[in-house]
Amino acid sequence: MPEKKQKQIKIVIAGPYAAGKTQFINTISEIETVQTEARTSQAQEKEVKDHTTVAMDFGRITIDDQHVLYLFGTPGQERFDFMWDILGKGMVGLVVLVDSTDPSTFHEARKIINYFESRYPAPFVVGCNKQDLKGAWDPKDIRTALDLDEEIKVLPLIALDKESVKNVLLVLLEDIARHL
Amino acid sequence: MAITGNLETFNFIDIFQILKKDKKDGILVVESPTKKLAVYFKEGDMVYIREVVKIFYIYLDIDFNQVLKKEGISKDDLYQFLVSRLPILLAVKKGKFSFTPGFIKYPSDIKSLIPLEKIMMYLSRQLSQEEVDRKISDIKLVFEKAENWTEIAKKAHLTEIEKKILSLIDGTRTVEDILNETKINQLTLQRILYGFLATGIIQRKKQKQRKIGFALTKTLLQKIISRIKGL
Repeated sequence: MPEKKQKQIKIVIAGPYAAGKTQFINTISEIETVQTEARTSQAQEKEVKDHTTVAMDFGRITIDDQHVLYLFGTPGQERFDFMWDILGKGMVGLVVLVDSTDPSTFHEARKIINYFESRYPAPFVVGCNKQDLKGAWDPKDIRTALDLDEEIKVLPLIALDKESVKNVLLVLLEDIARHL
Repeated sequence: MAITGNLETFNFIDIFQILKKDKKDGILVVESPTKKLAVYFKEGDMVYIREVVKIFYIYLDIDFNQVLKKEGISKDDLYQFLVSRLPILLAVKKGKFSFTPGFIKYPSDIKSLIPLEKIMMYLSRQLSQEEVDRKISDIKLVFEKAENWTEIAKKAHLTEIEKKILSLIDGTRTVEDILNETKINQLTLQRILYGFLATGIIQRKKQKQRKIGFALTKTLLQKIISRIKGL
């Protein structure tokens, strides 16, 4: 018997360079995250990490025999923003991550939000990653910096911690429920 | 928690936006290669600017009256000092900033002397293309006026062109529509919208209905939630 084809449900994990998107997916995925990494080329990026996502990476969570939830991570650098359009189509929700210790990443997160809000206005939440690190900004201040109103959930996050990642996804799913 | 960063990537308007929104009390410390400045905020408005030789001097005084005493100025002179030192602060483009909330105790008769909204709009008129692209990054963006926009706009002392642009923001026109309708220079429009957003005169249009790109049912969504909870 051929295996019955499962329907794919898509959540996009977007965010600036080194905000922790791959880690977020790694922490929650039931399979080892499929990564499409390359060595970072620009000097500034090299200072942050050696490898970066160039197309997308994804993780998977099986829901039942018929449905599977895919978490797609978009490349952080603006030069790969063509991927946002590909991934935005058909998504049920969006998680935008920021590095809470680096306010320069808030600008790129805002650009990502502006892009998706203008084209694919799906339910979304913001995950303020690296909340365990010294110098992390309060999610309340990050909300203001991103020009977001109270309707959008801006959540503390430690992408290395499974419960923290689960919380962000569950809040997003609750928000999706409000729009069904 | 921290409000710290670098002025090259997070400018004064961005900082003031956060302090104003939450009506914060505290001290903003700005360290450039040549200057160390302490900017005192009460309820989100700037009340005093002081230059110090060493940063730790700022934290020796927890009472604002004591600060004034040390500086040798009276409350009546505050406006004059603020106005004369403001250009020195705003000229700083490189360096670190750090905001310490609370800390300083203000007497009740210390009031806002210059509306921060006015300073923010002034600064927005000088933003570079790179800076405006951070907030107004998409010509398809749609803005709407905030609930209390008239009150904020009054404090911001808008120019005629800014008032004209504000009149066109109605929750339906995109940035592109406003550009086409007014034939205004794009950078000028971006600067105006940046200032409006930062001061809180406008906001991104709230999405009444969000699009979910999959035929999700409530039962299936509940299944997904249960699955995530069980991980």
